[in-house]
Amino acid sequence: MQGSNGFAEGSDDAAGTIVAFCRYAREQGLAGGVQVTLAVLRAAVCLGMADRETLRFGLRAVMCSTKDEWGLFGEIFETFWDPVESKRSQRVLRRKQSRAIDDSDPNRSTQMSGAVGESQAEDRGRQDVAGASERERLRKADFSALRQDDLAVLETIALRLLRQMSARLSRRHRMTISRGRLDLRRTIHHSISRGGDPIDLRYHKRKPRPNRLVILLDISGSMSPYSLFLVRFVYALQKHFKQVNTFLFSTDLVEITHLLRASRLPEALRSLSQLATGWSGGTRIGGSLSEFNKLHARKLRRADTVFLILSDGWDTGEPEMLAAELAAVKHRVHKLIWLNPLLGLADYQPITRGMSAALPHVDVFAPAHNLESLMALERHL
Amino acid sequence: METSVGSSPSASSQSIDTIISGFEHLGYVTDRSLATAIYLVTQLRKPLLVEGHAGLGKTEVAKVLAGFLGARLIRLQCYEGLDVSSAVYEWNYQKQLLAIKIQEPSKQTVEEKEKHIFSREFLLERPLLQSILVEDASPVLLIDEIDRADEAFEAFLLELLSDFQVTIPELGTVHAKHVPYVILTSNRSRELGDALKRRCLYQWIDYPDLDKEMRIVRTRLPGIEQQLARQVVQFVQFVRRLPLSKPAGIAETLDCARALMALGKHRLDPEAVEETLSCVSKSVEDSAKIRSAGLERILSSPTGP
Repeated sequence: MQGSNGFAEGSDDAAGTIVAFCRYAREQGLAGGVQVTLAVLRAAVCLGMADRETLRFGLRAVMCSTKDEWGLFGEIFETFWDPVESKRSQRVLRRKQSRAIDDSDPNRSTQMSGAVGESQAEDRGRQDVAGASERERLRKADFSALRQDDLAVLETIALRLLRQMSARLSRRHRMTISRGRLDLRRTIHHSISRGGDPIDLRYHKRKPRPNRLVILLDISGSMSPYSLFLVRFVYALQKHFKQVNTFLFSTDLVEITHLLRASRLPEALRSLSQLATGWSGGTRIGGSLSEFNKLHARKLRRADTVFLILSDGWDTGEPEMLAAELAAVKHRVHKLIWLNPLLGLADYQPITRGMSAALPHVDVFAPAHNLESLMALERHL
Repeated sequence: METSVGSSPSASSQSIDTIISGFEHLGYVTDRSLATAIYLVTQLRKPLLVEGHAGLGKTEVAKVLAGFLGARLIRLQCYEGLDVSSAVYEWNYQKQLLAIKIQEPSKQTVEEKEKHIFSREFLLERPLLQSILVEDASPVLLIDEIDRADEAFEAFLLELLSDFQVTIPELGTVHAKHVPYVILTSNRSRELGDALKRRCLYQWIDYPDLDKEMRIVRTRLPGIEQQLARQVVQFVQFVRRLPLSKPAGIAETLDCARALMALGKHRLDPEAVEETLSCVSKSVEDSAKIRSAGLERILSSPTGP
């Protein structure tokens, strides 16, 4: 590629620097591959290396492809090209190292990864012998009352049920397809052999359109007996439905869609527990929703978005705020579902201030304390 | 990409300056970042993906680029359910049916008849095919709000953007004589696929700062009084910092300024704000937030308005 890359003779150095920069940017978290590097080289040939600012703008246009990367680029560029700035890069390095130390702390990842992993192999034997009645018991067992060793069995059952559920949902899509618009193109093709009389009419198949799903999962202290399992439920939902955006919240809101999508379940749980540690125990449902409305409301579409909140409704914020933000969400979605694990308790009444403020805006209010109640969600999707 | 292209760095710098001044001449105030990207579009012939909030002139980039290059602008507005027959081509069925009827008494064989009714004469060219069929020079192809189209269409587009050819089963494959300049815009209502993003240059357009917005207002509304322009821009910049559900873009600034000029106002006072609030705020809640945000203080402060 050297010969044809267009740099003048003896400017191997320049090309080398560009390639080194691409590699550095990749290490710093920009997406990139050989194709990007080649495009960057071509851009650098067009722009020349002399004008630093032009080069920065040009490379930014070539190397970035999201707003986040756009924001990152400035610092990456500066640390690479300006030795004066190296102090900052050292700081970054140090931050990275301290993060690496965090990673190696085994206690951190135990919160959510629970029973998966190590016990999986031995459980496989047990799960085969778990008879129908055992499965039935587990489906109805309250998550908070489960023993650790039940958890893995329950998880395999859950995954199977979820797979069935998503298959059923897509089948339902196919079956509801009625005859769509007349397909004139194919009709005419067929009519040629009959002298042009359109006898057989052909129809367009209507494209199935799955609902979009937006999930907000409460992981505050009061939800901890349930969140362990609900995260897995959410993970399975995201694996099996195409358009799902998932968020965690307690006092803050954080999107975890990419985390769940990118990794396998044990890894996802590990990175989630890292993400979630250090969050204080309180819940700001209203505040989190407000943040959602501010940053992510454009992901909602009234036509087909189902908005799912998994929370017990213990809100430390103002109930008025919760009601207002929920009303704003309600305006933008097709259906608003609130799943509350406490609803499984025999004597539970939704009279906490937060919950009673929220209820008028909720389309479906349902329990989420055991597997059966989660499976019942299918009706609403 | 030829060797001659990058001969001297100052040539590129000059071209970028030409783009900036050319765009400004057409009423579009741009910065060096966007101009550099536009320059790379013309040199590398890669598509440019422009993202940003609503009302910041994303679509305008393509229109002005077409004006700047003296090229034809072909626009494809995306929406959910957009399919190949409304984006690329469609046969003119009514005409075909009539032709079949007219040909009935003729002695042509079925093959000849078929060949006739599936000729270019019966083809309805939609934007993407149009952009490929342009005969004289490269057009500017604007694919607007690509995030609204579904993933299947995005995949199709990816193929088109790499080869610039379309296969019509009845006619064969059509290649582009002149590869179009492609501008895609997105409001980020969903994340675009990685493959498409990787193929494009990228540009994020943010809200302009005070100076840039002043320049935009003065360029677009040459007749506006200096003081009024300054007040309107400061007002909108202030409103933009409020937590509104629909933040005001540049389009709203210009609307507001135009409204004030139409009303014959010379300065922005609380009364004028009330009268033109509908230009800036698009919901009852937002209006209430603006009213209760202490406008008087902003409007009467000695430094600005």
